[in-house]
Order: sequence, then structure tokens, then C-alpha cells
Amino acid sequence: MHKLGRGHRDKLQQFITITGASEKIALQALKASDWHLEGAFDFFYNQPQLKTFTDSRHLEELYNRYKDAYVDMILADGITVLCNDIQVDPQDIVMLVLSWHMKAGTMCEFSKKEFIEGLQSLGIDSLDKFREKIPYMRSELKDEQKFREIYNFAFGWAKEKGQKSLALDTAIGMWQLLFAEKQWPLVDHWCQFLQARHNKAISRDTWSQLLEFAKTVGSNLSDYDAEGAWPYLIDEFVEYLNENGIIQNGLINDSSLKW
Amino acid sequence: MSTQKKRPYHIEAFKHRAVGDPKYAEKTWKVLEHAIHEIYNHNASGLSFEELYRNAYNMVLQKFGEKLYTGLVTTMTSHLKEISQSIESAQGEIFLEEINRKWVDHNKALQMIRDILMYMDRTFIPSNHKTPVHELGLNLWRDVVIHSSKTQARLLDTLLELVLRERNGEVINRGLMRNIIKMLMDLGLPVYQQDFEKHFLDVSANFYCRESQKFIESCDCGDYLKKAERRLNEEMERVSHYLDPRSESKITNVVEKEMIESHMHTLVHMENSGLVSMLVDDKYEDLQRMHNLFRRVPDGLTIVKDVMTSFVRDTGKQLVMDPERLRDPVDFVQRLLDLKDKYDRVITMSFNNDKTFQNALNSSFEYFINLNARSPEFISLFVDDKLRRGLKGVGEEDVEILLDKVMMLFRYLQEKDVFEKYYKQHLAKRLLSGKTISDDAERSLIVKLKTECGYQFTSKLEGMFTDMKTSHDTMQGFYAILGTEMGDSPSLSVQVLTTGSWPTQPSPPCNLPAEILGVCDKFRTYYLGTHNGRRLSWQTNMGTADLKATFGKGQKHELNVSTYQMCVLMLFNSAERLTCKEIEQATAIPMSDLRRCLQSLACVKGKNVLRKEPMSKDIAEDDAFFFNDKFTSKFFKVKIGTVVAQRESEPENLETRQRVEEDRKPQIEAAIVRIMKSRRTLDHNNIVAEVTKQLQSRFLPNPVVIKKRIESLIEREFLERDKVDRKLYRYLA
Repeated sequence: MHKLGRGHRDKLQQFITITGASEKIALQALKASDWHLEGAFDFFYNQPQLKTFTDSRHLEELYNRYKDAYVDMILADGITVLCNDIQVDPQDIVMLVLSWHMKAGTMCEFSKKEFIEGLQSLGIDSLDKFREKIPYMRSELKDEQKFREIYNFAFGWAKEKGQKSLALDTAIGMWQLLFAEKQWPLVDHWCQFLQARHNKAISRDTWSQLLEFAKTVGSNLSDYDAEGAWPYLIDEFVEYLNENGIIQNGLINDSSLKW
Repeated sequence: MSTQKKRPYHIEAFKHRAVGDPKYAEKTWKVLEHAIHEIYNHNASGLSFEELYRNAYNMVLQKFGEKLYTGLVTTMTSHLKEISQSIESAQGEIFLEEINRKWVDHNKALQMIRDILMYMDRTFIPSNHKTPVHELGLNLWRDVVIHSSKTQARLLDTLLELVLRERNGEVINRGLMRNIIKMLMDLGLPVYQQDFEKHFLDVSANFYCRESQKFIESCDCGDYLKKAERRLNEEMERVSHYLDPRSESKITNVVEKEMIESHMHTLVHMENSGLVSMLVDDKYEDLQRMHNLFRRVPDGLTIVKDVMTSFVRDTGKQLVMDPERLRDPVDFVQRLLDLKDKYDRVITMSFNNDKTFQNALNSSFEYFINLNARSPEFISLFVDDKLRRGLKGVGEEDVEILLDKVMMLFRYLQEKDVFEKYYKQHLAKRLLSGKTISDDAERSLIVKLKTECGYQFTSKLEGMFTDMKTSHDTMQGFYAILGTEMGDSPSLSVQVLTTGSWPTQPSPPCNLPAEILGVCDKFRTYYLGTHNGRRLSWQTNMGTADLKATFGKGQKHELNVSTYQMCVLMLFNSAERLTCKEIEQATAIPMSDLRRCLQSLACVKGKNVLRKEPMSKDIAEDDAFFFNDKFTSKFFKVKIGTVVAQRESEPENLETRQRVEEDRKPQIEAAIVRIMKSRRTLDHNNIVAEVTKQLQSRFLPNPVVIKKRIESLIEREFLERDKVDRKLYRYLA
């Protein structure tokens, strides 16, 4: 154990808490970024994960523990048991991140291939390692690029098989889950607007462009270009905001946002 | 033999007078001076020009050029001073005549003097950079005579006074004026400009400023413009008579500025006589004058154009927005054509076919025609009316003229696809009812539409004509083969309509009378036997029938009715009384159609071949109908419920609009796909611009609809957004 100054020790502890990385990896990242936390995060997330050796036999055992009795897949019941084992709520957003790692084709299902290859890419072959990895997966949501990937992955994952669009209720649930992480101030208005005015499924393009809208326009809509390339539904949303006085002179005028 | 030496011969040269002999010079100059005096005193006839010339020659030769030149200046000056005094003492109108006479004399004298002193002009004067004799004479005249303190001001005042008198209608001595002005010009352009023109222009400006103010207060616009025009012509005439030609543009500018430019707005907007009144009352001559005069000032025509445009727009707007006008589409369109004719005449007869005005008129029409969303329908109804009967008996040339006018209105429409939809409906009815007056006229209009909007726009319309031709041939074939078997069967005439070309609406099958069914089945067998793979369905809502009917007292009539009406009437061959309900069950005609059908059979005076109980306009299901034995008519042929195109009711119009909007979606998508297929990558705004450009000959695409189509294409994976630039789209092959 190296002898570290108090400032450095605090940063090390903070990094480990946020990323779930080992102390060795944390030290490496912090030194590479000259002990700046933000730089260390960038370094850490951009490093290709070392292909940790995983025991195939253990992975097989894990899969068999959760797989359905009749179908060679892990279904809702198996996922419930898995969540129990790793001490995560099934509704927790970290399950979405896990599904993203597994490249899961649809919600509440993991094929054997998805499960095993996903865990391998995470370097997990035991429940202990699985639990250790949870903070890391949670922290990936803070990385902007990964958030976007996870957000766009969520569309295909959450929609009904064989459908092209995402059911409105499901979409609203997903948005509330995802934007709880990103703090988009208009998310509640957006969901209310959809239920009041739209009442139809959400297209993939609208889904992905909403994230761009949330990032680009934020809380200042004075320079919103209704004739630009935004999906029409977002045009209607901006109109709705203006009509209801939620936006005035391009700025949010919602007392519920004051704190 | 002795030699003798010859003595050389010597001749001595003749001796001249000594060079530089002052006495000689003085003596010689005296002779010349005397001669100049004699010339100015009109006594030149006694002089010997040869001697005088030689004297001058000798003086120059003997280096006395300076003395000669100085003497000339002195002598001429003294004479001109005398002349100046003589002019100054002239009284009244003699003044100008005196100047003129003295000027003539001076010029004659100057000519002689210059001839005498020609050698000096050629040698001494250039060598010493002095003013040539003739020019010297002019300069001295200018400085001594014209610019003398008394004469200069008086000359100007006199000239201006005469101009004023001429402007006030007096006859003045123009020849004299011409001579004086020419004198000033001969003295040099700057003399003319400074001594006369500048002041003339200033005084003229004041004159016309006051006069225009007086006129504007006492005249109406037309009279004022006549006066202004007359003044303009007078000034141009004055220049041609006695001013320098270069003054024309200057004096006309003055008149234009003071009489036209200063009062442009007042004139144009004069109540009861201004531009609007002229337009309303077809005052072509006044309008032409206004155009000619206003063209001469900056922005003059712009004002005329703007006021005309504003008035045309207001007039047109009132016309297309007047609820009363909307009742009669044919009249509505005729008034539009009349309005266009009127302003075309104005532009042709009064505005010199000015392109600016033509463009302004065109944009005005485009503006107000599109204010009324019903214009496309009404134009089609107008065409329908003309091609049904309006153009009956009209010569081919006049038909073309009218069709060209219709095309002109069509060109103004921004929603040409709406026109096409209505035109197709109306054309279908004309063709199916055989009511069109001229196939040539129909085809002529379609050729014009194709020229304007392209093949795709008219391909279905042409398909309709093809169907009519083909159907005619088919019926000939049918009767050629089966004619002998038909016996007493009703005659049948079938139009085979290509699905997609005709504006068909879903037609629920109704129960045709047995007599008709038989012959229909024969036709079906024939047709399907000669056309493999075809499918026939009867469009009974679009047919007509001729029925022979015998009424109570034995009177016979031939009834022209719709197919539905035929189905109803045939029931009464075997029934005395039928309720509306019973008729519906027997015929399977939809109730809404049936009600209209029965209304025209039982509720129209003069056409009520059925009798109804109770006798009311409205038709209830339990109402009873009887054959009307008491029916009478002056005509053998009775036309009932003619299928004539009428303006749509509001709900129908809305429905047509919605269908148009639906039809636009695939066209917009096709345009997007065409563009992206050729571009592969393009940003949003450029797609919108390109789509608009490609489709605007048919309709103006709504950018929001374009955006929705793009989204739909993204969803169906024809397009995708660029990964980096969200405004950029890529074509997916």
C-alpha cells in the first residue's frame, strides 16, 4: 500500500466508490490524469477492458441457475431470482445497463448466448464478481456517450417483438427511468403532453431525437427552429409549452421547478 | 591674231525701304484703321481689298504684327462701344431688334476684317498665342455689348418676358428670339448657359410651381394631366423653334418635376378623378397620359403600379370573398375573366404593354384567386358549363380564345391538383352523359394542361378519353355479334371505365330490373370472353336511362332519368303503391341516394311522374308513392334529375380537400425518394426546398407535411439520420 496524502486518498476513495473499480485500476487512472477526477473517469471509461479470464464452467452454472425449466432462456422468473441474488430491484435502471452489455434483444429475456457473452465482456463468472460490478455499471450512465448508447438501445429492448414503434405507456416509463439519471427539467411536461395530445406509439426516430432535443435545447427554447429537422411531435411539444405558459420568451416559467 | 578679255556683267538689286521704319508702319496702320471705320460705317464698297490685304501683309512681314493686332483691338472696341450705347438707348421692343440688327452688322464687318487680316491670322497670331480675329470679334461683342451693365440684365429680362407671354398664349416674334438665342450660342455655350439658360430654368421652375399649384386646386386629375402634357409639349416645341436642342431635357425635367413629381401622390389619389376612378371608368386616354407622364419622373410608374395593384387586389378580393358570388361558380369565374380582360386592355391600350404592370397584374391575380379555396372547383365548373352548352355553336377560334383564358386563370392557382381532382369529376360526368359539345375542345384543353403541368398531370384524363373510344368500339362489336339475338330487349350502352383513371366512388350494387339484368349478363359474357383476366363491376350510381311511359289519358312521354330512377320507376309496372321503405328493399339503393332520387321524381313541378302521400318536400320512410296518372307535359321528352355538376356543399368540399391531402402524401414521398436517390446525402432544409421546387407546379407542399413524410421514410428505413449531424439524411438503398 502506497503512502498517499489525504487529498489523494480522498480522491482515490471517491473514484472507487463511483466506478467500483479496483484500487489498482483506480490508482492507474488517477495518476494518468494527474489526479483530476474528471480526467480519471475519461481515462477509465476509454480504456478497453482487459479481457479478464472467466471460468466457462462457472458461467454455465450461473446460467443453469436462472434458466427456465422448459425453455433454454432466462425469462422473467429467472431474472427475478438473479436480481435477488445480486441484491438489485428488477425495476432498477442498472438492469437496463446489464441488458445493454448482454445485447439483449428484448425486455425480460436473456438467451444463453446473450447471458454468457455479456457476463464474459464484464469479466463476471461468479455472484461475488457480479455484485462487485453493479456500481461500475451504474456509473456508466454518467458517461455521456454511453448514456446515449444505452438510451438508444432501450428503444429496441423495450418495444414489443415484431413492432416497429414503442408503445406509449412503455415509452413514458422508460423516459421517466432514464431522465431520472439525466435531470431533464421538461420530462414530466413531455409525458403529460404525450398522454394529452399524442396517445400513439413512439417511433424510433422521435425516441432518439428527443435525447438530442433534451441535450441541445435544454431549458432555453428561444432559438428552437420549428422548421428545422426536429420530428414533428417535438414541434408540437414546443407549441404546447408555449400555449400553456410553461415556456415564456424561451425560458421555463414553471414554479414547480423553483427550489 | 590677238585675244580680247570679256568684262563680267553686274546687275545691282532693287532697293527696298529700310526695315523697321516706324513712319511706314504708322502710315500703313492709318490706312487700315480708316478701312475698319469705313467697314463699320457701311462704306466698304469703296475699299480696295487687295491693297488693304497687302498692307496688313507688309506690316506683319516687317515685324509690326503687334501694332497691327493692338490697333485692331482698340478700333473694334471703340466701335462696339458706340454700338452698345445705341442698343442701350433703344426703347421697348426695339431693343431686341436693335441687338439683332447690330449683331448682323458686326458679323459682316468681322468677316471682312478677318479676310483683310488673314495673313496675320495664319502667322502672327498662332506664333504669339493670341486670339484669332473672328473669335476676338465675338469676345469683344460679348464683353463690350452683351455684358454691358445696362444691356445684360435687360436682355435676360426681355427674353424671359417674351417666353412668359408666349406661355400665356400670346404670339411672339419667334424668328427674332431664334436669332438672339443663336447669337448667344455663337458667343459660346457657356454664354448661352450663364446668360440665359440657367435663369430660364429657374424662372420656369417658379412658373410651373405656381401654375401646378393653381391647377391642382382647380382641376380634376384628367384635366390636370392634359394641361401638364400640353405644357410639356409646348416646352419641347419652344426648344425646337428657338432654343438650343440641349436645353430640351433640362426644361422638360423642370416641367416634370414641378407639374408631375411634386404632385404625384395628390394626382394618383384624387377622389373621383384619380387613378382608381380612371380604372373604374375605363378612361384609357387619361390612363395612357398618366403612364406617359409619370414614366418621365423617378418612381412615377412605381406609384401608378402600386396603386393599381392595390386596387386590383382589393377588387379581386371582394369578388372572390363575396358570399353572394359564391352561389354561382360560372358567374364567379366569368367575372374574374372580365376583370382580367379589363386590366389587360388597360395595360395594352394605356400602359404600352409595360412588362412591369403585366407582372404586377399577374401577381395580383395569383394573390386573390388563391384567397378562396374554392377557386379550383369553380374554374372547373366554369369549364364544365362552357363545354356542356356555353360554347355550343361558337367558332373554333373563339373556343381556343376562351380556353386560353381559362388556362390563364389555371396558371394562377397554387393548388392545381385540386383543380385536377374536380376537373376529373366534371369531365367524367360530361363524358358519361354524352353532354360535351365538342371532343376537339375537350382534347384541346387537355393538351394545354399537359403543356402546363406535364404528362403525369393529364395521363388519367387522357385515359378517360381512351376508355370512351374503346367502349364505343366494344359496343359496336357487341351488337355486331349479338344484335340479332336481342329482339325486344332494351338497348344497352356500356362505358368500360379503367379503375384508377376515373373518379369512381364505391358503388354498392343495386337490384336492376330483370329486363336490364338480362342484357347486362349478355354483355358481361361477351366482354369477359374477349378480355381475359378482366373484372367487371357495375357503377349504377353513374348511369342514365331513357324510358317510354304511358300515362292516364293515354299520353306518351319519353323520360330521361338516372339509373337509380329507372329502377324505382320500373317497380310501378307491377305495383300500385309503394312506401319509401319498400322501394329501398326492392331496389337496394342506399337511402340517401334514394331520397334524392324520389324527391326529383315526385316533388318537382312539371317532372312529378310519381305522386307522393303526404305531399311534402321531405321524404320519410313510411311515405307512400303512386304512379302519377295525371302527369302532363308539353314536351314529349322529359328530362328528370339531370346529372349536372354543381358546386359542392361544405361537407363534400371538406371531404374532397381531405382526399387531396391524402393524394399529396405519396407524391411528396416520391419526390423525397427521387431527390435522396440522386443526392444520397442531403440536409433537411435542402430537401424541403427541393421537394417544394419539384412539386410547386401542382401544389405548394406544406413543410410540416414534408417533415412528416421524412419521418415516415426514416421509420420505414428508406432514410436514416447521419450519425454525427442529425440534420443530415442518408438514402438507404
